[in-house]
Amino acid sequence: MNPVAPNNTPRKPHHAIDIRALGRAPVSAADNAGMVTCLETKNLNLYYGAARALINVNVTIPRNRVTAFIGPSGCGKSTLLRCFNRMNDLVDICRIDGKVLLDDSDIYERSVRVAELRRRVGMVFQKPNPFPKSIFENVAYGLRIMGVNDKKILMETVERALRSAALWDEVKDRLDSSGLGLSGGQQQRLVIARAIALEPEVLLLDEPCSALDPIATARIEELMYELKDRYTIVIVTHSMQQAARVSDFTAFMHLGEMVEFNDTDTLFTNPVEKRTSDYITGRFG
Amino acid sequence: MQRRLLTDSLFKYLMTFGGISVIIAISLIFFYLVSVAYPLFKPANVEGWQVYAAPGAPGERTLHLSSEEQREIGARFTDNGSVYFFGFLDGKPRGEAKIKLPQGVSITAFAAGDPHQYVVAYGLSDGRVIVAKQNFAMNFDEQGKRVITPQIVYPLGEEPLVIDTSKSPLRKLAIQSAEDEITLAALTAGGRLQVAGITINKNMITGEAELERTGSMLDGVEGEVQDMTIEVKQRELYVVHADRFVSHFDISDKTGPRFVQKKQVVADGENVSALTILSGGFSLIVGSDKGNLGQWFLVRDGNNAYHLTHIRDFKAMPGSITTLAPEYFRKGFLAGDDLGNIGLYYATSQKLLAREPVGKGAVVAAEISPRANGLLVQDAAGRLSAARVENEFPEVSFSSLWQKVWYESYPEPDYVWQSAAATNDFEPKFSLAPLTLGTLKAAFYAMLIATPLALLGAIFTAYFMTPRMRRVAKPSIEIMEALPTVILGFLAGLWLAPLVENNLAGTLLLFPLMPVAVLLGALCWRLLPESLTGRIPHGWEAALLVPVIMPGIWLSFQIGHPVEAYFFGGDMPHWLSNEMGITFEQRNSLVVGIAMGFAVTPTIFSIAEDAIFSVPRHLTTGSLALGATPWQTLKNVVLLTASPGIFSAVMIGMGRAVGETMIVLMATGNTAVMDFSLFTGFRTLSANIGVEMPEAAVGTTHFRLLFVAALVLFVFTFFVNTLAEVVRQRLREKYSSI
Repeated sequence: MNPVAPNNTPRKPHHAIDIRALGRAPVSAADNAGMVTCLETKNLNLYYGAARALINVNVTIPRNRVTAFIGPSGCGKSTLLRCFNRMNDLVDICRIDGKVLLDDSDIYERSVRVAELRRRVGMVFQKPNPFPKSIFENVAYGLRIMGVNDKKILMETVERALRSAALWDEVKDRLDSSGLGLSGGQQQRLVIARAIALEPEVLLLDEPCSALDPIATARIEELMYELKDRYTIVIVTHSMQQAARVSDFTAFMHLGEMVEFNDTDTLFTNPVEKRTSDYITGRFG
Repeated sequence: MQRRLLTDSLFKYLMTFGGISVIIAISLIFFYLVSVAYPLFKPANVEGWQVYAAPGAPGERTLHLSSEEQREIGARFTDNGSVYFFGFLDGKPRGEAKIKLPQGVSITAFAAGDPHQYVVAYGLSDGRVIVAKQNFAMNFDEQGKRVITPQIVYPLGEEPLVIDTSKSPLRKLAIQSAEDEITLAALTAGGRLQVAGITINKNMITGEAELERTGSMLDGVEGEVQDMTIEVKQRELYVVHADRFVSHFDISDKTGPRFVQKKQVVADGENVSALTILSGGFSLIVGSDKGNLGQWFLVRDGNNAYHLTHIRDFKAMPGSITTLAPEYFRKGFLAGDDLGNIGLYYATSQKLLAREPVGKGAVVAAEISPRANGLLVQDAAGRLSAARVENEFPEVSFSSLWQKVWYESYPEPDYVWQSAAATNDFEPKFSLAPLTLGTLKAAFYAMLIATPLALLGAIFTAYFMTPRMRRVAKPSIEIMEALPTVILGFLAGLWLAPLVENNLAGTLLLFPLMPVAVLLGALCWRLLPESLTGRIPHGWEAALLVPVIMPGIWLSFQIGHPVEAYFFGGDMPHWLSNEMGITFEQRNSLVVGIAMGFAVTPTIFSIAEDAIFSVPRHLTTGSLALGATPWQTLKNVVLLTASPGIFSAVMIGMGRAVGETMIVLMATGNTAVMDFSLFTGFRTLSANIGVEMPEAAVGTTHFRLLFVAALVLFVFTFFVNTLAEVVRQRLREKYSSI
């Protein structure tokens, strides 16, 4: 794997965190000049019944960058992530006010088709969840439900998606065997392939590595690095190291509030808020 | 720590014990069923041959052998009018009698009637007949020991009866007797056939018998007559010609006997060498000189005319058939050939039960004892061989259980279960085919109704229903399972069956109308303004179907009557049977389908619902996150993943439907019919066991056959369940996701 580095800026060290040398660098603040907004929330409040899980969240997620949400458990980072493809709709008692804009249009408008939205905003979950189908059918699933049954198109898409997910070489000889026969890391990449087969604009990753071993984690992180050229990636992670390694921007959340949002280097090296600095130095969380 | 280990191992052994006990219990049930059923399939056992010289003077020819019910005493009738009684198994003389022949007259013909009437007739050289009857008087002496005294009595008096007024000797004779009626047929020297019916009128006061005699002459008996037999009910006379033909006369009117037909009963190039009538009097067994054996009886055709019809052949004997002897009460018979073999056969099951070589030379005469537990055979060397026979279950064979059998007086071979009848000489009809078909039919119609209802309900409950509603709906459906089936059967038989009969068109209309009504309801729902539909919380839509389904049923029943009036002449059951020729029974498969469908639904529903509900949430969310609609997710992921469980659910439901007894017992007519019509009833294996077990005598064929039925049921469910488990495991391997 030889990732094409977007620039040659040398990696700056992030103190307080021991970062493994990955040999590539996140985007620095200077490179963020020509950024385009992809996702944006405006005064987003979310309630589970009477409990308020998100409090006035305002965040802007730039296109073709990796944005990480960090924060202690129960801070609402996963909930926020699920707002971006309306997965919270599945929770009966969940209520939302405020706006979530994808390319400047509100995804909570009545006219929005949820299925269509989710095709544009793909999601990968904490636990690898391949369907009990073959590897091929897993990746082709999204296309099949869109009504694409042309064998050639499916084959091309599956191959492209698997190559993008850096899984093709490992599975190309056994596309017909069950997706459940793969290892955890492979399964997670399969799930990513499944998501990117639909060519979404945004890829939401909800703690994608928490069930994986370090090597598999490294592969996924590498993959994220490669994918950000084409996709806007939002990742929720428990691991500050991971956020520091893979993301261009990091948001720190605490108790449903967006405490601080900044480019990753700044957030980790020079946090504005005390809570942020307490968290990243390990004083709570 | 010590205690933990102890508890651990204690529970380990307890569980092992429990599991093994279950397996042992099931195997024991299986082996018990097999052990009761097994004797049915054993061949007859002939053992303990005793050979002794036939009692009597040398040079006497045996005309007939007989024995009494206890298999204690045998009787030998010889051609000089002597009757010798002897111990059946040991040959010890037990007395003798001599028929009182008039001076200067000799015996020229002899005939024996149906064996259990013990009546014989001697045709004399002066054209007269003496009718004699064996009588075995049974007493107990002072020690309480059984003493049987054999004697000969003369039911028509000791004075010979004049048959041929021309006084020429009688060449052939046939007799059949009943309590108060005797029929004789005699062939005189001139080749004329004389039929005589004698009615015995007993004077109630004096006890004196008065004989009333009718008779006539039958002309036109062509060819040489070898033998004659009168059927037990004294209505048919069969004349065996000296070649391969049998002539049949209708002698129900003794004053005007009628020639009916002449039939070739053995193949070309063979001759009839022996003929007998089976107990009950319907069937002729014809033996040929090539050893072939065939069964014939009268079959009524469409024009109400009877034809002597070939029914079946039996395994041929090695030599030419010389003797045929019927059993007293069953449809078995014994065949002896000229090589000294005897074969024990059973007509209904077409079985050769035993074949043994006996004595030297041809078999001259043979007798099966009244209870079919002994054989008496005389060979050409004048010796008698007696044996004990164990032959309790000759009726059962693979063909008699599972194939069409041509029963006596049936117009064609058929599958019939009829285990009991009013008469003793009735031929039991033990075909399991209609019962098995009935079982499958019941299960089929029940599953036809239960499967879609239960599965669709399970899908909705597990996948779409709001948790709060599910918490109410699921236990309510499951509690239906606890409803005693006897109540369901009672309701089905006494309430549902008449309701369906009175609203047949309406009931049938339900099946197409209900889905249409639901779809229309859904359409209306979509057309309603969102301000209204939005008020119903998500997942509660099912409750809205109640006001669609209830009026739907009502409407369907309301439409039913005009539909019946317009298309079916006002009464659909009547129309079905009269116009379409479809039998309609009130307690039919439709009723059972609905009632048993109702009983099976909760089983299938509960298991299928669990299976669907336990599809991991991350699979559904994964699919939804890929932009699949809930419906697509259900179709492509949920049902696929739950398929092993759903399959199990259907199979367990099937097992329940197959084994269900009470509903089918009460809601069908329990008629063992062999069709798949929606409008007829049926009898299932389980209901049959339930109905007949209390009245089956322990140890009889019938009793054991009920165990065979149970075994069939057991094996059937075993196979279905094994198959289901194999398929389920396969599915699980393929779609397991956890």
